[in-house]
Amino acid sequence: MSATIARPRSGARRHRRPLRWKATTIAVIFCVVWIFPTYWMVNTAFKPRSELMSPVPKFWPENPTVDNFVVAVTQTGFLRNLANSAIVVIIAVVCAILMGLLAAAALSVFRFRSRRSILVAILVIQMLPATSLLIPQFLIFNSVGLLGTYAGLILAYISLTLPFAIWVMRGFFVAIPAEVGEAAQIDGASSWQMLTRIYFPLVAPGVISTSVFAFITAWNDYLIAYTFMKDQAMYTLPVWLATFSTPTHGTDFGGQMAASVLFALPVVVFFMLVQRRLVSGITAGSVKG
Amino acid sequence: MNATSTLLPPDAQSRPAGDTRAPHTPPPTGRGPRRRRNLAPFALLAPGGILLALVTLAPIVFVVFISFTDFGQRSLFTGAFAGVGFDQYTALLGDPEFWYSVLRTIGFTVALVAGSVLIGMGISHLLTRLNTGMRLAVTIVLICAWAMPNVAASLVWTWLFQPGYGVMNWLLTQLHVFGDMTNTNWANDPVLAYTSIWMLVVWQAVPFIALTLNAAETQVPGEYIEAARLDGAGEFRIYRTVTLQHMKPTLFLVTILSVIWDFNIFNQIWLVSSGGPDGATSTLGVFMYTTAFVGFDIARGAAIAVVTTLMLLGLTAVYIRSLIRSGEEL
Amino acid sequence: MRFSKTGTLVAMAAASALLLTACSGTANGGAATGDTVVPKTDGKGKTITVWTMQDDYDAATIAAINAEFEKQTGAKVNIQEQQWNGITTKISTALATSTPPDVLDLGNTQVASFAENGGLLDLTPYKKDLQQGQTWVTGLEEPATVDGALYAVPSFAGSRAVLYNKKIWAAAGVTEAPTTYAELTAALDKVKAANTEADFSPLYFPGQNWQASLQWVWDAGGDIATVKNGTWSGALGSPEAQKGLEAWKDFQNTYSTPASQTLDVQSPAQVQVFADGKTSAIIATYGLISQVLKANPALTADDLGAFALPGISGKPQPVLIGGSDWGIPTKTTNKDLALQWTKIAASPTIQKDFVFGSNGWIPNSTELASEIGATLDPTRKAFFDATQISRATPAAARWADLEGDKSINNLFTSIASGAKSAKDAAAAFDQATEKTLNKK
Repeated sequence: MSATIARPRSGARRHRRPLRWKATTIAVIFCVVWIFPTYWMVNTAFKPRSELMSPVPKFWPENPTVDNFVVAVTQTGFLRNLANSAIVVIIAVVCAILMGLLAAAALSVFRFRSRRSILVAILVIQMLPATSLLIPQFLIFNSVGLLGTYAGLILAYISLTLPFAIWVMRGFFVAIPAEVGEAAQIDGASSWQMLTRIYFPLVAPGVISTSVFAFITAWNDYLIAYTFMKDQAMYTLPVWLATFSTPTHGTDFGGQMAASVLFALPVVVFFMLVQRRLVSGITAGSVKG
Repeated sequence: MNATSTLLPPDAQSRPAGDTRAPHTPPPTGRGPRRRRNLAPFALLAPGGILLALVTLAPIVFVVFISFTDFGQRSLFTGAFAGVGFDQYTALLGDPEFWYSVLRTIGFTVALVAGSVLIGMGISHLLTRLNTGMRLAVTIVLICAWAMPNVAASLVWTWLFQPGYGVMNWLLTQLHVFGDMTNTNWANDPVLAYTSIWMLVVWQAVPFIALTLNAAETQVPGEYIEAARLDGAGEFRIYRTVTLQHMKPTLFLVTILSVIWDFNIFNQIWLVSSGGPDGATSTLGVFMYTTAFVGFDIARGAAIAVVTTLMLLGLTAVYIRSLIRSGEEL
Repeated sequence: MRFSKTGTLVAMAAASALLLTACSGTANGGAATGDTVVPKTDGKGKTITVWTMQDDYDAATIAAINAEFEKQTGAKVNIQEQQWNGITTKISTALATSTPPDVLDLGNTQVASFAENGGLLDLTPYKKDLQQGQTWVTGLEEPATVDGALYAVPSFAGSRAVLYNKKIWAAAGVTEAPTTYAELTAALDKVKAANTEADFSPLYFPGQNWQASLQWVWDAGGDIATVKNGTWSGALGSPEAQKGLEAWKDFQNTYSTPASQTLDVQSPAQVQVFADGKTSAIIATYGLISQVLKANPALTADDLGAFALPGISGKPQPVLIGGSDWGIPTKTTNKDLALQWTKIAASPTIQKDFVFGSNGWIPNSTELASEIGATLDPTRKAFFDATQISRATPAAARWADLEGDKSINNLFTSIASGAKSAKDAAAAFDQATEKTLNKK
C-alpha cells in the first residue's frame, strides 16, 4: 500500500503504520455506530418525561433522573419476575449442562454402534425451529398440567438448550488427545473414574462457556414463556419487558428503556466478565497458549 | 440472532483446509472390559436421552399427528377434533400466502446472512490491525450488542425508529438525503420494516461472527503472510489468497449456522412489526405463530411446522456434510 | 335506586336461607327456566383469579367488588390486569388450561367466538338472579347471547367523545364547545394557528384508533360489512363508506400529527400526549379523564371539557358502542365463587357507585341508565349524548379475528399514511372480512 507516503522508518513498520491509522479510523466509526443503540437506551432511561418526547432529540439528559428505574422496579412485578427468570433459567441450565456433559462424554470417549445416528439426531434436533415445537409442547404440557408451572418452563428450556450443549461440549471432549484416556486405562481406572478424574477437569473451561450460552438462550426466551405462563406472577423477565406498562403512565418510553437496561445489564456485565473465557472457550483447541 | 447456539464445535474451527487427520483416536479396548464399557455410554446418555425423547421427540411425533387433524380453538376448549387426512397440507400448499412466506423467509435469510457474515469478516480483519486498546474497545462494543437480550434490543429498536420522536428518524432527516423522515413509521412500510429488522438482527449477529472469525484469523501462520508480502502481493490479495484460504472451514460453518439461526428469527420480527404491514414481514416462523396462536388454526400451524422442519432438514444435511468434510468425525 | 343497602342484605339473607335448604349449591336444576339462584359458598382459604382489561375499571371499582366478595364468601381475589395487545391469544391459551382464570373481562365482540367454541360457561340458568331485578341494556345483552343462551354478564357500555383542554382552546379564542362539524373544524383551525410547535396537534388522532375512525364511515351512511342469508360481504367499497373514509383521512391528516398516522393509542400513550399539552384534544372514553389528571397533576377537572363528535351529516356522529362483559370459563375450578363475584360486579350498587360513579361508564341496566341520565354534569353528559346514535361491529363470531390480527388497524393506518388509497385499502379489508367472517 502507500508505503512511500509514510516517513522512513524501520522496514517492518513502514508498511504497517498507514494501515493502522486507517484501521483505527474505521474502528472508531464502527464503535460509534455499533454502540449507538445501547447508548440511546441508557440515555433515554435517565431522562425525565419532559425530555423524552422532544422533536429535536436530546443527546444527553439535561436533568438526569432515576425515576424511570424506580417506577420500573416498584410499580411492576419486576422483582417477582426476576426471581422467576432466575429460578427457571438456573435450574434448566444446570440440568441441561449435567445431562449434556454425560451425554457428550458418552458420544466422544466411547465408541458404540448407534453413536453416529445419535449424533445426527442431536444435530437435527438442534436445528428445529423453536416455533415448531411450541405447538405440540403447549398441547402436551397442557394435558399433563405443566403449563403455568416452573417445571413446565424448565423442561421446555432444557429441551431448548440440551441438544446444543451436548453438541458443543462433545467438541471439547474430542479435542482432548486420545493418549490421555489410554494412560488412565493402563492404570486400570474404571470408566467413571476415567471421566471424573481426567476428562471432566480438562473440559471444565468448555463447560463454563457452554453454560453461558445455554443461560443466554433460556434467559432470552420470550415466546415459550409468553405462551406457557398465563399468570403475571409467573412471567419471566422477557415477558415482563415485552408487556411493560406502569399503572400510572401506561407504556412510556422512559420506563420501557429503564426496564430494558435493568434486563440487559446483568447479561452484559456477565459477558464482560467471562469475555476472555468465552472467546477462548469458543476457540479452545485452536488457539495456542 | 439467537445468541444461543453461537458455539462452534471448537475442533471444527480453523483447522487448515485439507487437514483431515482424525482428532481423536478411541482408546483401544481389550476383550474383558469391553462388555462393561459398552454399557457405560448408554448409562451416560440415559438422562439426557430420556428427557429429549419426552420433551422433544414425542412433541415432534405429536405435531405430525396434529397436522392430519382439524385441531382448532374448539378442540382447545373441549378436546374434540377429527382426522382430516392430508387436507391441511393441500390447503397449505395451495395457499399463496404460504408460498409468499417461504419466499420472504428465504430472501430475508439470505440478506441477513450476507450482511452479518460480510460485516463480521470485515470486523474480524479489522481486529487484527488494531492496537490493544482499540481492540479492547471494539470487543466491548461487540459484547454490548451481543449480550443485549433480543427482547430488550427489539424495544430499543422501536424507540430508535419511533415516528415523531425516534432519534434515527431525526438523524436521517438531518442528512438531507432521504427527505423528511421524522414521521416515518418503519414498521408500516414493507421495505423499511425489513430494513430496520435487518439492522437489528445484523447488529446482534455480527459480534459472534466477528469474534469467532477473528480467533481463526489469528491462527493463520504469519510466515505465509510474510511470504506472500515478499512476493509483492497487495493486502487484499494476501487476504484473499492466504488468510481466507485458511479461514475457509470456520467461515463455512459460521455461514451455515447463520443460515439456520436467521431462518428461525422470530422475536425481533414479532416485537418490531408483528409480521405487518399486511403480512409483509410474516416469515415462516411468524406465519406459523399467527396461524396457530392468533387465528387458532392449530392443525394448520402444525402442518406449517412440519413443512418448515423438512426444509430445515435439507439445510442440516448440508451442515452435517460440511462437518464431515472439514474433518469432524461423526 | 331500586336496591337499597338493606334490600341487598335482605336478598342475601333470603339466598342463604335457600342455600341451607338446598344442601350443596351446585344447582343446575333450573336450567330451563333460568331462575337458578347463584349459589352461596364459603370460600374461606380459596382465591379466585379475575382478569380485567387495561383501562376498563379503576382501582376503586375493583376494590369495592372485591371487598363485598370477601365479606360474602371469605375468599380472596387475585386481580390481573391484561393488555389489549395480543389478548385473543392470551385468553384462548388460558381458557385451554385446566386452571384458567375464574372470571374474565371480555369485550362484547369477543364473547361470541369463545362461547361458540365452548370456552365459556353457559350462564342461562342463573340469568334471572344475575339480573338482580334489572333489565339489561339490549345492546349489551345481545352480543352476550349466542343461540339463545347467555354466556356473559353485561357490565357496561362506553362510547367515545372529544375530550379537550379548555385552557388551550380559550387561548386560541374558542370558548364554546362546537355543535356542528363546521364549528369543530373552525375551532381546530384556530387552535392550530395559535400553536406552532412542531409536534403539537389540535386533535391527536392515532391512525390505529379504528373505533373512533369508524364514526366517519357510519356518519357518511356506510358500514363495515353486511350479512345476507348468513353470508357476510364487505361494505367499505360502497360510495358512502368511501366518502366517509376520505373525510376521515382529511380530518386525521389535517388535525393530528403526521407521526400519529400509523400509531396506536398506546405508544406513545395518547393520555400522556394530551396531559403534556402536546395536543389540545383527543377522542377518548370518559375513564381516561382520571388518567389524564393523574398524568399531569397541574390539570384540574375544570380544565377539561367534552362534547360528542358532530357529524358532517348534520347529526351527531354514530358511535361504536363498546361494551364489556364478565364471562366465566368452562374449565373454572371455582364456578360458584366466580358466579358470586360476577353477580356482585353486575349488581346495581357497584354499577351505580363505581362503574358509572367512578369510571363514568354507562351502566348495564336501563333502569340505572335512565336514573343517572337526569343527574349528569356537562362533561359526562357529552359521553352519554354520544350514544344517541350508536352502532356495533358486525355480529359475526369471527369478527374478533379481524381485531386480533390487526386487519382493521391496518385499514385505517394505510389510508391515513397514504400507503394505499381509500379504495384499495377498503378492497383489501373487504376481502379479509369476507374470508374471515365466512370461515366455518
